[in-house]
Amino acid sequence: MRRDERRARSREAGRRLCWAVMLFYFLAFLLLALRDMAWQGFALAAAVPAMIWLGTNLLPRLYPGDRLLLSLTNFLCALGVLVHYDTNPAYAYSQAVNYGIGLGVMVFCVWAVRLIRDWDWAMWPLTLGSLALLALPLLFGRETYGAKNWIYLGGVSFQSSEFVKLSLILSLAWLMSRRRALRWLAFTVACLGLLMLQKDLGTALLYFGTALLMNFAANGSLLQLGLGLSGGAGAALMGYRMFAHVKRRVAIWRNPWADYENAGYQLVQGLMAIASGGLFGVGIGLGSPTTIPVYHTDFIFAVICEQFGLIFGLCVLAVFVALIWRGATIAMAARSAFHGLLAIGCTLMLGLQTFVIIGGVIKLIPLTGVTMPFVSYGGSSLLSSMCLVGFIQGVASLNEDDLREDTRIAMAVEVGEP
Amino acid sequence: MKQKRLRYKLLALLLFLLFALLAVYGTRSVLTYGNRWFSFSRNPRVRAQKEQVIAGDILDRDGTVLAHTDSAGARQYHPDAAVRSALVHVLGDGHGQIANGVETFQTSYLYGFQASLPELVFGLFSGQPRTGDTVQLTVSAPLSAAVAAAFEAHPQTAGKRGAAVVMNWRTGAIAALVSLPSFDPCDISDAVQADAGKPFWNRATQAKYPPGSTFKTVTAAAALRCLPQAEEIRIDCTTDVLDFGSHVISDYGGSAHGRVGLRSGYLLSCNKLFANVALNVGAERLRAEAERFGFNDNFLFRDLVVENSVYPTGALSDYELAACGFGQSAIAATPLHMCMLAAGVANGGVMMEPRLLQSVTAAGGGSRLSFSSAPYRTCLEPGIAAVLQEYMRGVVAEGTGKRAAVDGLTVCGKTGTADSTENGAALSYGWFIGYAADEDCPYAVAVLVEGLDAGVSGGSSAAPIAADVFRWLRDHR
Repeated sequence: MRRDERRARSREAGRRLCWAVMLFYFLAFLLLALRDMAWQGFALAAAVPAMIWLGTNLLPRLYPGDRLLLSLTNFLCALGVLVHYDTNPAYAYSQAVNYGIGLGVMVFCVWAVRLIRDWDWAMWPLTLGSLALLALPLLFGRETYGAKNWIYLGGVSFQSSEFVKLSLILSLAWLMSRRRALRWLAFTVACLGLLMLQKDLGTALLYFGTALLMNFAANGSLLQLGLGLSGGAGAALMGYRMFAHVKRRVAIWRNPWADYENAGYQLVQGLMAIASGGLFGVGIGLGSPTTIPVYHTDFIFAVICEQFGLIFGLCVLAVFVALIWRGATIAMAARSAFHGLLAIGCTLMLGLQTFVIIGGVIKLIPLTGVTMPFVSYGGSSLLSSMCLVGFIQGVASLNEDDLREDTRIAMAVEVGEP
Repeated sequence: MKQKRLRYKLLALLLFLLFALLAVYGTRSVLTYGNRWFSFSRNPRVRAQKEQVIAGDILDRDGTVLAHTDSAGARQYHPDAAVRSALVHVLGDGHGQIANGVETFQTSYLYGFQASLPELVFGLFSGQPRTGDTVQLTVSAPLSAAVAAAFEAHPQTAGKRGAAVVMNWRTGAIAALVSLPSFDPCDISDAVQADAGKPFWNRATQAKYPPGSTFKTVTAAAALRCLPQAEEIRIDCTTDVLDFGSHVISDYGGSAHGRVGLRSGYLLSCNKLFANVALNVGAERLRAEAERFGFNDNFLFRDLVVENSVYPTGALSDYELAACGFGQSAIAATPLHMCMLAAGVANGGVMMEPRLLQSVTAAGGGSRLSFSSAPYRTCLEPGIAAVLQEYMRGVVAEGTGKRAAVDGLTVCGKTGTADSTENGAALSYGWFIGYAADEDCPYAVAVLVEGLDAGVSGGSSAAPIAADVFRWLRDHR
């Protein structure tokens, strides 16, 4: 009984939070729309809160799931749309569309996790297809920002590594739970090799970190974790010695001011933006965040800090921390090894990716070009992040089913025994 | 199952730790470097704001207007060209030629970036262009001009490059900071830009020089701290030979001081004695002592951007260690840091953070910031500081710094003559660091003269300038 009460109360709190978030975005978009006097702005002021409401309230009606995780996801997606509308409206429109599609894709992922209990049949197609996808940009891709990681097909462009990410976690979780070490190891190494060839070191780092920590989650071997870490450190050192662009990245990280006109320009502009925001920010619609190169993807966190301030930036970090907490809790409650690994894998990927990009922007670690989940502009990135949340939600809904089943049985037993 | 849950918990904890790292590092960076990043001359936000906001005034400590924006929007400086030139490195030139002058480093106040929400809203409705904050500095305009004039008053230093810093040793307030050659900010002609003397360079804060014998203060402090019988050390400067094979240590001008101890060696500035002391103290402890005084520290003062001072961190040969004892080798410090060092001795071993802002007042009259002093670090125990104070008193009373003596003030100090090479040519520097011990005139002074003529020492070049400065301070206390 008490458990039910607690649930009801938290659902009530969640609902209030949802309304507060909707109000925040409604006002923010309204403000910008009044500044621009553009119908798109007013449309977004109506559409974004509506999508948040749908995202947090409609989905739980389709499947049982984690409401808090949903609210956090929607908050971050909407934040992305808001910041993009302020800096470059064209990006906001397509980001809003992607946000809508993302919600649908998330439902699809929940459905897939619920429906498919045996992924054995999918392993070969998934792994081979992924490798083919990763190899494609090498053949048909164009180099952007020093990495060859985009595929251009008939006017549509996408970053294959964003989608391979999903199949990586799915197949790692499955193969690890079935203890097929050789196959997942071979798959991971092949992926890392292809990413190295693409010169997409940031993504390679993410894949590596996720695989390593998932393995620890699966078997708890500290020895393997240590071996993997030292192997990774060795590879990083070798990369530093061998590749000039890695050396350059590290040099920029150590002192971006040494060459602020060229090599360090981006990082310096980002730091100046963060410093300009101070604690409380210059305010939405103000400041000049667009002077940062690639402000809309890699440096979106600097834009957020300039406009909303450091304290808000810390709150965004806290949102991610809450998201990780929900992900880990769901993983812990999972009844099967596969589902636990799937949920923790998705959580690790999202957490590490956020750490790597924000750490790069604030000069904690060398900058590697990965996107900030949910917030950065880009369909590939947003959709794959939504899929990751979808997987976690799928596991959460299965947990919920199991819990209900338990309660039913327990009640039946209680009734049966006088 | 239970183990697995523990592992999931551990992984979540790891991610939390990473995020905590982000939060702590980000907050720390913004709080410590924020103003440095923001006031960087290439920040496009500042350029944009300059077109909308009238820059606030800059005043000296007595309220004299040093910089003002006239009704036409042009920046006007003090009417007296001598004052303008003496203060140009503190203020900056408005063209961004001088790094980190008040005009650029205090952009966030001068251009109203710190305005509160009510002020912004009021400004919006008043229809008047917004005005930035008024920034009052701790420097004195007439003192700054007097310091610059003192260089010209003596034949040994007239026309030479150099720097001088005057600070209150009790509060850390900078009373004057002058770098020569200077120039008139109202007239940045091509000739100035082409000048080989690099007038845009702030020699007091941006240039590092070998401190020479002024560093003996640090060596003496190390001896007093580490060697139990430091005051009983005796060497015979005339007969003892310090030979390191390739190098022989000699004294300034080849002079010999006979039998000397720590005190007499300090008063007469005997290199051989301090080379000996350095060898006795040892490389580790001498370096630790230097670092206690702020060498190798990352200076992050709130009001000033100061180059970090350097004490060699690698392994030292015996000769190098001996040379460190009297401030040669690879030791380098800014005149401002050497002034802080003298001020630290004067203040009983507590170095104060150098401050440049007296107050900041909003255009509407509200106070945004008022002067507060803060200790930078404690370099000496009071007992050792008292001994060094007595030594420094002796230098001016009876040693190499007699020319810094001023009637009516208890002047204490240390002279120095350092050698180095610039583009292959030998170049020597004259130093005087010191302070007035009087309670009603608590000022420390550091004077540096670049490129001394042959036969001129710190005692005969920098000390007379310090005397002029102390005389001014005595007459205006």
